[in-house]
Amino acid sequence: MSEVVKLQLIGLCVVGLGIVILLFIKGQFLRVIGFVAIVLGLFSLVALAVPQMASLPPAEESINIADIKTPTDMASIGQKIFFSKGQCALCHSIGPSESARCPDLKGIGAKLSREFIFESLTEPQAYLYLDYRHEGIPKEYPARMPYINRNPIGLSKNEILSVIAFLQQMSGEPISVSPSELDIPRATPAPVKAADAGTVAVAQAR
Amino acid sequence: MMNQGRTIDNQVRHTAGPVALLAGCAAVLGWMGIPDLAMAQDAAAQAPTAYRDIPYVGSRNLVWIIAQLHLLLAGFVLGVPIFAWLCEVVGWKSGDKRYDKLAKEFTKLLTSSYATTALFGGILLFLLIGFYPKLMAYLTDIFFPSFLVYCGLFLVETATLYLYWYGWDAMSEGNGKKFHIFLGFLLNVFAFFIMIVPNSWATFQASPVVIAEGTDFERAWAATWNPTWWPVNIHRIIANVVLGGYICGAYAGIRYLSAKSAEERYHYDWMGYVGNFIGVFGLLPLPFAGYWLMREIYQYNQQMGITLMGGFLSWLFILQAMLIGVLFLGSNYYFWMGITHRIPGSEGQYRKPIMAMLIILLLCLAVWMTPHSLVASLEEAQKMGGTHHPLLGVFGVMSAKMTVSNLMVLVTFMSFIMYWRAGKEDTAGWAKVAKSVMGAVLVLAGIAVIVLGVWGYFVPAIIRINYFSTSQVGIVIFVMLTITPLTALLLKSAKTTTEMVWGKMPPRAGYSLVLNAVMVILLMTLMGYARSSSRVHWHVYGVMRDSSQYAFSPALGYAAALMALNTFLFCMLVAFIFWVATMGDKAKAAASAKGSAEPGRIPAMAGGSPALDAPATEASEGQRPV
Repeated sequence: MSEVVKLQLIGLCVVGLGIVILLFIKGQFLRVIGFVAIVLGLFSLVALAVPQMASLPPAEESINIADIKTPTDMASIGQKIFFSKGQCALCHSIGPSESARCPDLKGIGAKLSREFIFESLTEPQAYLYLDYRHEGIPKEYPARMPYINRNPIGLSKNEILSVIAFLQQMSGEPISVSPSELDIPRATPAPVKAADAGTVAVAQAR
Repeated sequence: MMNQGRTIDNQVRHTAGPVALLAGCAAVLGWMGIPDLAMAQDAAAQAPTAYRDIPYVGSRNLVWIIAQLHLLLAGFVLGVPIFAWLCEVVGWKSGDKRYDKLAKEFTKLLTSSYATTALFGGILLFLLIGFYPKLMAYLTDIFFPSFLVYCGLFLVETATLYLYWYGWDAMSEGNGKKFHIFLGFLLNVFAFFIMIVPNSWATFQASPVVIAEGTDFERAWAATWNPTWWPVNIHRIIANVVLGGYICGAYAGIRYLSAKSAEERYHYDWMGYVGNFIGVFGLLPLPFAGYWLMREIYQYNQQMGITLMGGFLSWLFILQAMLIGVLFLGSNYYFWMGITHRIPGSEGQYRKPIMAMLIILLLCLAVWMTPHSLVASLEEAQKMGGTHHPLLGVFGVMSAKMTVSNLMVLVTFMSFIMYWRAGKEDTAGWAKVAKSVMGAVLVLAGIAVIVLGVWGYFVPAIIRINYFSTSQVGIVIFVMLTITPLTALLLKSAKTTTEMVWGKMPPRAGYSLVLNAVMVILLMTLMGYARSSSRVHWHVYGVMRDSSQYAFSPALGYAAALMALNTFLFCMLVAFIFWVATMGDKAKAAASAKGSAEPGRIPAMAGGSPALDAPATEASEGQRPV
């Protein structure tokens, strides 16, 4: 017997019990309980009659830096970090967006050098001007660019380089960072740790 | 991370029989409450525990039930002071002691329900720390300063509540009364802040913002001021008023059903009316607040909005439409019964408008409940040319739903106005002009809402959402803001033609009040599930992933069964609180039973007559008092 059928049976029993109470019990409070039971039972039965879809989480992916062989691999890792641990997509969009609260990053890898991007992520107040609202109505929730290499986001140097690789690739630029720049203890490769989620999670579009 | 949960599970499973089950439960409590020495020794070597579980029930189900009860109780203890304070102010201004008595009756509930709410809050906190230590550590790190603010608010709220309740009789006259009303105001201000502080924790989980460097207070403030914080605050404060009003109505309904004397029937009929009035008063702007919240969610993250409205939660909104539809019907039905039973002779006069309003409401409900896409077999889908029905699919989209929800609000508002005006005859010289203006405003508003709704099919979604839907809402608000004061001015000089007779409502009126309260509670549980599920597999959306075995969102049927259980438990808790709080009154009432009926001085907030609004006694029941 499936879970839905079991719940439907329980719902029917609750409705039946409510009807019995209303038919045979004189006490007003108990009659009201019977009435409430009928209402709640019917609600459950209606909810059980519509399509039953659970929302299952996507599989978690762990990233092994030892597997990174090419700049494209780095960009692929960087893309995952961009949408998960790095929390970049909380504020930035790639392409025009009404809801983005911070600058659109489309083509940013072509506009800025990798050194400048690195500095923007690790020393955001060093050069970046705070009033990034170039035109239109000011956004309601401006967020100051956080230090990406510090808590709570805390990306490592390897992860930041991967994000830069992703930004360059996404802008159609040749990727100027190379796997040889990664600080990897090749002998004992360790998975990249996500901020607070155990392993890096992929913010897969649902 | 699951080790501890599994160990508990094994302990319970490896024992048998009720005694063993008790032992298992004791072990569960032991595991949860007392740090294990052996584990403490290994703690340094192990990764910190992220999740714990309990067998059979499951950590999530337990947290779900306790959190839901806590939130419903919190809504009740925040809604009742608003309700009580409004009644006290009305009583003070009008000199009608019934309102003061009603306010006091409900404030008395606060002391016991406040303690019960805090008790469930404490249990919830322990469970959260026990079951989700990593998440709680993360949130504590961000929000610790607001925890302190929260504690401070509780202290001042408790002190104010004690003063408000225990000082009621001592501050019943003159300046004392004014101070007492000020205390009631303060109570509500503190209660509002008590609500919005934890709202920030919950809304941060759904719509986190990036937290930059800064002091603890700066970081907590940045996280608090997240995109959905204020929409949720406003939505909840209105919903709490609705909950308080309808629960008052349900209580009155139950007491009315079991009333033994005419005086009791009179009192509880009137109380049911006031409860329903305040419930409807809050219900009318509630859809607008909900719309704003939804708009902000879309604005914050379109994907989250799509998950809610077009993803696996889309059928939830059909259920929501059903519940709101029943609530609107129930509230209107109660108004209509009030017109036909409390105002003799008006049945024939209002039969046609009532029938017209009922038909409009049912049609609107049918459109609101039309799903966007249908569950169809491949053959059926091929015949239809897709999962959208060629005709009904037109009604499944937001443009249609926004239109009918606005029309339902308009109809309910007009029901209320009709009830207000029943039994009155205008005497003002400008009455004819005013009525023409009101009629024109209503008709034009209805047409404008429908035109914008139809036009909404032919414009891009962003235009519809940003301009058309907001205009529809604006039009309905304009109608309310125009017609309410005009009606009030007209009725100031109106002549009462038919008296209001309290205590003559049929038993189904009591059941309709109970039904309305159950609908509101179910709606709160349903939308709580929606808000929580919109985060899908994230504890903090896009920031901290839920990697427990409960990372999935259960299907609607399973969730609805839990919602129904929670609603039932909450109803029983509230009934218990009412029973405990009124236990002493029954003894007192029995001692001074004779001559206790309180004559009404002015009518309820709508309808009736100061001179004629007397309780129906056994002798005069159904007769017009002189």
